[in-house]
Amino acid sequence: MLPVHHPRALWRAHGYLPVEVWGPPGTDATPAGAHLQPFLCSIPRCGLAFHLAGGLRDVDVVVVPHACDALQGLGSILTDLPPRPLPALTPYLPRATGEVAVAFLAAEIATLSTRLAEGSQRGPTADDLLAAALDEEAADAAFRALLDARPRISLSNAAFYEAVRSREYLPPAEFRAVAEVALAATGPVDGIPVLLSGIVPEPAGLLACLDRHGVRVVADDTACVGRRRYAPGTSTEPFRRMAEALGSGPPDTTRGSPLSERVAYVVALAAQTGARAALLAIPGSCDPELFALPVLRQALEAAGVRTLHLETDLSMPFTAQADTRVEALLESLP
Amino acid sequence: MTLYASVRHGLAVTGGRAVLGVVRWRDTFRRPRAHPHLAPPLRSGVRLKELIARHYLKGRTASSAVPVAWVTSGAPVEPLVALGYHVHYPENHGAICGIRRVAEDLCTAAESAGWSRDLCSYARTDLGVVLTGRTPVGRLPRPDLLVCCTNICQTVLGWYQVLAERFGVPMALVDTPFLYGTAPPHALTYVERQIEVLVEAAERAAGRTLDPGRLHAVTRRSKDACTLWREVVDRARHRPSPITAFDTFVHMAPIVEMRGEACTVDYYAALLEELDGRVARGEGALLEEQVRLAWDNLPIWPRMRWLSDRLAARGAALVASPYARAWGELADLIDPERPVASAARVYLHPILNLGIGQRLAALRALARDCQVDGVLLHSDRSCRPWSSGQADIRDRLVREDKIPALLLEADHSDPRAFSEAQASARIDAFLEGLGA
Amino acid sequence: MTVAAIGVDAGSTTLKVAALDAAGTLLWSRLEPASPRTAEQATALLAACASEAGPGKGAPIVATGYGRDLVLGAVRRVTEITCHARGVFAQVGGACTVLDLGGQDTKVLALGASGRVLDFAMNDRCAAGTGRFLEVTAARLGLSLEAFDAAATAAHHEAVISSTCTVFAESEMVSLLARGTPVEAIAAGLHRAMARRVAALARQVGIRPPILASGGVALSGSVRRALSRELDQDVGLPRHAQLLGAVGAALVGLDPSSPGPIRVAGRPRPV
Ligand code: SF4
Ligand code: SF4
Repeated sequence: MLPVHHPRALWRAHGYLPVEVWGPPGTDATPAGAHLQPFLCSIPRCGLAFHLAGGLRDVDVVVVPHACDALQGLGSILTDLPPRPLPALTPYLPRATGEVAVAFLAAEIATLSTRLAEGSQRGPTADDLLAAALDEEAADAAFRALLDARPRISLSNAAFYEAVRSREYLPPAEFRAVAEVALAATGPVDGIPVLLSGIVPEPAGLLACLDRHGVRVVADDTACVGRRRYAPGTSTEPFRRMAEALGSGPPDTTRGSPLSERVAYVVALAAQTGARAALLAIPGSCDPELFALPVLRQALEAAGVRTLHLETDLSMPFTAQADTRVEALLESLP
Repeated sequence: MTLYASVRHGLAVTGGRAVLGVVRWRDTFRRPRAHPHLAPPLRSGVRLKELIARHYLKGRTASSAVPVAWVTSGAPVEPLVALGYHVHYPENHGAICGIRRVAEDLCTAAESAGWSRDLCSYARTDLGVVLTGRTPVGRLPRPDLLVCCTNICQTVLGWYQVLAERFGVPMALVDTPFLYGTAPPHALTYVERQIEVLVEAAERAAGRTLDPGRLHAVTRRSKDACTLWREVVDRARHRPSPITAFDTFVHMAPIVEMRGEACTVDYYAALLEELDGRVARGEGALLEEQVRLAWDNLPIWPRMRWLSDRLAARGAALVASPYARAWGELADLIDPERPVASAARVYLHPILNLGIGQRLAALRALARDCQVDGVLLHSDRSCRPWSSGQADIRDRLVREDKIPALLLEADHSDPRAFSEAQASARIDAFLEGLGA
Repeated sequence: MTVAAIGVDAGSTTLKVAALDAAGTLLWSRLEPASPRTAEQATALLAACASEAGPGKGAPIVATGYGRDLVLGAVRRVTEITCHARGVFAQVGGACTVLDLGGQDTKVLALGASGRVLDFAMNDRCAAGTGRFLEVTAARLGLSLEAFDAAATAAHHEAVISSTCTVFAESEMVSLLARGTPVEAIAAGLHRAMARRVAALARQVGIRPPILASGGVALSGSVRRALSRELDQDVGLPRHAQLLGAVGAALVGLDPSSPGPIRVAGRPRPV
């Protein structure tokens, strides 16, 4: 599973174990250079390098959702000219809104289901599919509760994110158990409240840096976490229900949400949670985020929230320079 | 739309047309300076200059006289043309800024306002124009409507959302699912519905309703112009080729920004006739054509003249490019009897919306039809959709088709991403390998 | 006069120590090329300071720069951004823009009327717009940095170098040399290319006059001239331009609260 949005329930209903790959961070991206130029985003480059190094050896199918031009390129290479044989699925995420988009996405999920049934021989029934969708919705509810409770949870940033991000690989029931444990960890909290936006809270050194400097991420608007607060679907037709849920998250650049909606959402989120600064961790050359960035920063600054843009590269460790930037931002807070 | 604006617009268009007519008359009789390696420029070039100048001249006074739309290069414009819109193409304008070497300044303005240097240089140029009001064409009309079609890239979506925010005008989106394989029926329905919504939005912004008869006529003219354009680029199959890809990069302006207008059809008919004359006389675009090359991706606008001279000096004719051909490729799919439904199919299938397997196939077909000896792939730093996959395409061409191919690093508009020393060394070595 | 605070700036190319009295006057300073053993070097310089400028009993040591965590005995560790801001503000006393031109990093700081850092930007990824760019290109021309500066000053005209990327600029340079372009014109062109990059960074932050350049690279007259031309206004040189990080750190030690509260940057990390 590559970023960002995909119907978890579908894979589960077909008996697959979906595991997300955001990078993975720290992968040496050099081998991918034979296929993707170094000026492309590090997420697809790391993903491909990981694959080339045999990291996906035990994987039956790789899913590359269409989130941007860079992932489109990777998906297309894996489909048409794969450097190592591995079946690839490339769902398209509609950027339009409203009924046309839901109908398209439902049909897209149905097509994926047909493709998977060819592979697995065990085609799930409509009931199986609906049950899987409901299971995921229950896990989504726990996920939302966990994010909402963040201002009261006493875990460090690193520990908190380890818990929320287990949603990326754990089955729904197990995730709910993890969420329950994390939710119970309430206690006195301190630290400078900060909003984290961008694509993904990586590389790993980022959260460690925040913990070291006494920063507390109280609000998350990363594509990986906060923008996947899916609401439950309403339809009883399983594919449609999954499509409704996928399109229900907060405004997201990779879903093509209107800029004004997104800016309003993030500014409101910062206000609600009392964030004093916003960190925007954006992989270099990420077009969806970079167009919105100046407009978003301006709006946040106007609302009294200091902003810091951190250009990240998942193939590199968190740099000393980035650490200095974070520290300097904190030193300059009013 | 005010009366004053309409009258001013009318006067500017008629007056401008007269002046440009005189300029054309003068240029037609002016003998161009002889180039040591290239044939005298195409005579149609004079008419082309006039058409482009007229388009931008119209734009200068279009605001509040006629409805104005800013659109992406792959957007379905036929309904807009039929509704009487003046259509502005920021990408074409970006290319003009690139050729006139003002793109760097405009990009810098956008970068100073916080837009990353990694973003598409057309987008940065355009944002620079919007921020500073500077443009080599005098003045751009303010949009009443933005039309964004994602069939060339997702980049345009982020870019047009910023424009929508700045101008405070509606943006009509035509989202075209990327085709990793063949188009599924639900993708066609999805696009068709969106074009219907686009028509409604365009009617609202223009305050008039679309006349089906006019849409039919405009679509017919689009089809005719696209067919002619395909003929034009395919004349490069002749040896020597009467036209280079560099010529097509320049002569494609009308098919992109004046598609659906009558003058465009006439223009390409005349151009074709001129090329056929060259073919009949056995004249090539190069005085001496020794090797033939194909080009992948957008041109390097600021260095096009330089590259053209460099290649011509060695007898290398750049004869084919999927980029220029893209606007003619789908002529057969256009159906004036079913303008909206056929548009859904047409606008889903431009080459940039197809997987790299199909891009490789298109390049192979061009290489075969135009009998090329080598391929130059422009690895375009700020155009991600076109550049990803090029390494594999190159690899297949070299390994499976035994066609020498070179990956050349540059950018379509930003001169800072180009190193002349590095590029010349690579090109020269490549041509030496081809025996040129 | 006794030493009241000491600042140590452990930068990527040089290590600087500055000692101030209670009024903020510079009593003693030293600058050395950075050794890979930061801790030892800092300790040795601090010892030199104690013996030459007097013991300065109880004078707090404040460390800054990339090696700030390695300075033993420091009671505070503050980023060089805050320190340069403090150092310049002590001289200007009002809103201004600081261009901190270091060996590996270039930073632009916007200071408000009260001396607070309102915004800052740093060069990303590459060496474009840093001292490193000038170092590499000067070496390619076979010039020392001083001779490079002099060559650019002596130039009658400027060669156009469009790339700010160090690698590309190098190859542009080679082809200019091959075409017989005078070294002076190339040197001037390279200064201009670097200035363009710094100016771009400055515009991102927003320019509040006056503009001052600090850091080692700021000592070059050609760099400041190129920057003035690119930014269309004077770029001044504060006193102790190269020491400002260390001086600013010492000022933090003197008065940690003004302007703007300085937060102690966590516990000192184990070395
Ligand atoms: S970070 Fe941005 S560019 Fe990279 S894969 Fe994600 S959406 Fe695409
Ligand atoms: S990214 Fe490429 S396809 Fe998209 S607008 Fe820019 S040049 Fe055109």
